[in-house]
Amino acid sequence: MSTMLEFSGASFSYSGREVLAEVSFALAPGECAALIGPNGIGKSTLLRIAAGIVLPSAGLVLLEGCDLKQMRRRAIARSIALVAQQVEVPFDFTVEQILGQGRTPYLSFFGGLTGADHDAIESAIEATDIGYLRYRIFNQLSGGERQRVKIALGLAQEPRLLLLDEPTQSLDIGRQLEMIELIRSLSQSGVTILAAMHDLGLIEGTFSSVLLLSPNQPMLTGKPADVLMPRILERAFNCPPQQGPTLLATEHLRSYRAI
Amino acid sequence: METALGAAPKAMRRGAGAEARSLAVIAALLVLLIASVLCSIAVGAVRVPIRTLAAALVLQHTLSEEQRVILFAIRLPRILASAFVGAALSTAGLLFQGLFRNPLADPYVIGSSGGAVLGASAGLFLLPPVSMLGFSATALMAFAGSSLTVVLVYWLARVDGQTPVATLLLAGFAVSTMLSYSSYFVEVLDQDYGLGLRVLASWLQGMIGIPRWTQLGVIGAMIALAFAFSFPLARRLNTLALGDDYARQLGLQVESVRIGVIAAASLLTASAVALGGLISFVGLIVPHFARLIAGPDHVRLLPVTALAGALFLVVADTLARTILAPSEVPVGVLMAFLGGPFFLYLLRRSKQGAGAKRAGA
Repeated sequence: MSTMLEFSGASFSYSGREVLAEVSFALAPGECAALIGPNGIGKSTLLRIAAGIVLPSAGLVLLEGCDLKQMRRRAIARSIALVAQQVEVPFDFTVEQILGQGRTPYLSFFGGLTGADHDAIESAIEATDIGYLRYRIFNQLSGGERQRVKIALGLAQEPRLLLLDEPTQSLDIGRQLEMIELIRSLSQSGVTILAAMHDLGLIEGTFSSVLLLSPNQPMLTGKPADVLMPRILERAFNCPPQQGPTLLATEHLRSYRAI
Repeated sequence: METALGAAPKAMRRGAGAEARSLAVIAALLVLLIASVLCSIAVGAVRVPIRTLAAALVLQHTLSEEQRVILFAIRLPRILASAFVGAALSTAGLLFQGLFRNPLADPYVIGSSGGAVLGASAGLFLLPPVSMLGFSATALMAFAGSSLTVVLVYWLARVDGQTPVATLLLAGFAVSTMLSYSSYFVEVLDQDYGLGLRVLASWLQGMIGIPRWTQLGVIGAMIALAFAFSFPLARRLNTLALGDDYARQLGLQVESVRIGVIAAASLLTASAVALGGLISFVGLIVPHFARLIAGPDHVRLLPVTALAGALFLVVADTLARTILAPSEVPVGVLMAFLGGPFFLYLLRRSKQGAGAKRAGA
């Protein structure tokens, strides 16, 4: 079976502290996977390694069978896009100017945007439905609008693998559901998705698989219904036992989605 | 699909409109620059009416020997020098702002100019007058001083991949003060004690001298080279504005871009220092106004900033040499008067911006 992304015993240490220890998993093309785990477990680090921004200190990361370490940065950027949690832009770029940056891996040394680049930007705008934001200044957008623009920036790279770091973080419930809807439609268009998710209640129904990182345990992978079990989550997130599984709020949040 | 097809030409139309607009801005700045050079030639201790000048240029009328000397040996070289200094400092400011991801960076503020002065002083006072590849020890040392200072301040000011305003200003202030006054120390070590003091004083005050034509040619070529080199960097600075992580995952070789920017901006700073010494805040004020006219895109900003910088310093230096005639104010002193308050205004605005962001979050 072909894989889109494969981690094989990948570890990462930062100033002597091990952030990720021997993580192994594989994503099939077209999969829509949620990456979950307690704060500080290394979800963002895992995504940064998957995007080739940092190299694992041990182990292998393969993109469609190729070692990421051997690939040129531009080649990686044409296949993988990472939508980070934060982006701080010090100047007043418009949304359109920001999206143009997504074409960086395709531009020649001296070249500017070509017709094909403009087409890719237009498709990204269309997929995220942000045509009305095109000439707005990025720094003046709301959190939800920014999140959509960041995803459009990722899509402008025309990636086969889209990595999302907490895409629903600090969004209100309405914007969260819109974001989940967007993730679902992107997944249906054929992009492989790996998203670090905070809200466990938003996973079922959209994501086809869940990767759970928990302290001192190997990564657990499976279908949402199999991984999102109170017993497993309580242990992974170290919940106080007397509070019971209902506080994990999966049922609670799931009921919001019916609204 | 229909929307995508309908939207694309619109986007291109708008792109073409912005293109035409920035060409119009460039043309307007060029006209203003030429006009300001002509006006500046005419004014001074000896007035040469513009009519006489025009007659000499267009109708090949002859000028008197005295007029010829004043125009071609004194005023024109100095005016061109101020245009070069203005263009170089402004472009360097723009590049540094992109590199530091901070609109308060400027060759003077971050100590790059101070490093160039120290390097040039060491080259002039301590080294024998040798040259390498046609460049004097002084010029090479100025370039080395400037680029090493930027690397040092960059290293000192960065916190977790960002350069906050506070650390940038503090590191730049400490380093540039140290460097400027170290130049005095270097001068004292000079064997011909006291002779270099005038040179050094004019550098530290920011006085545009009267360069020889060959000197102008060499420095002009250096500025042109650095400027040409800046064009492929400008687009990459737009990408770098999104932050290191984003730039990396968009396929940018972040370290190479940084080295390129530091080299180009240091060459520009060293060139400017060679002609005019320490002139503060030009690299801060001009890119700021260029952004108001041309927006934040560094590719569009580059020519607008260079032309506006040349225009700005031609006017400023003309004021500096006529405002208290027959005495002369060093243009660096004038710029400190004009630029200081502007810098404080920008600082205050950036503080308010940060406050608003914190309140919003």
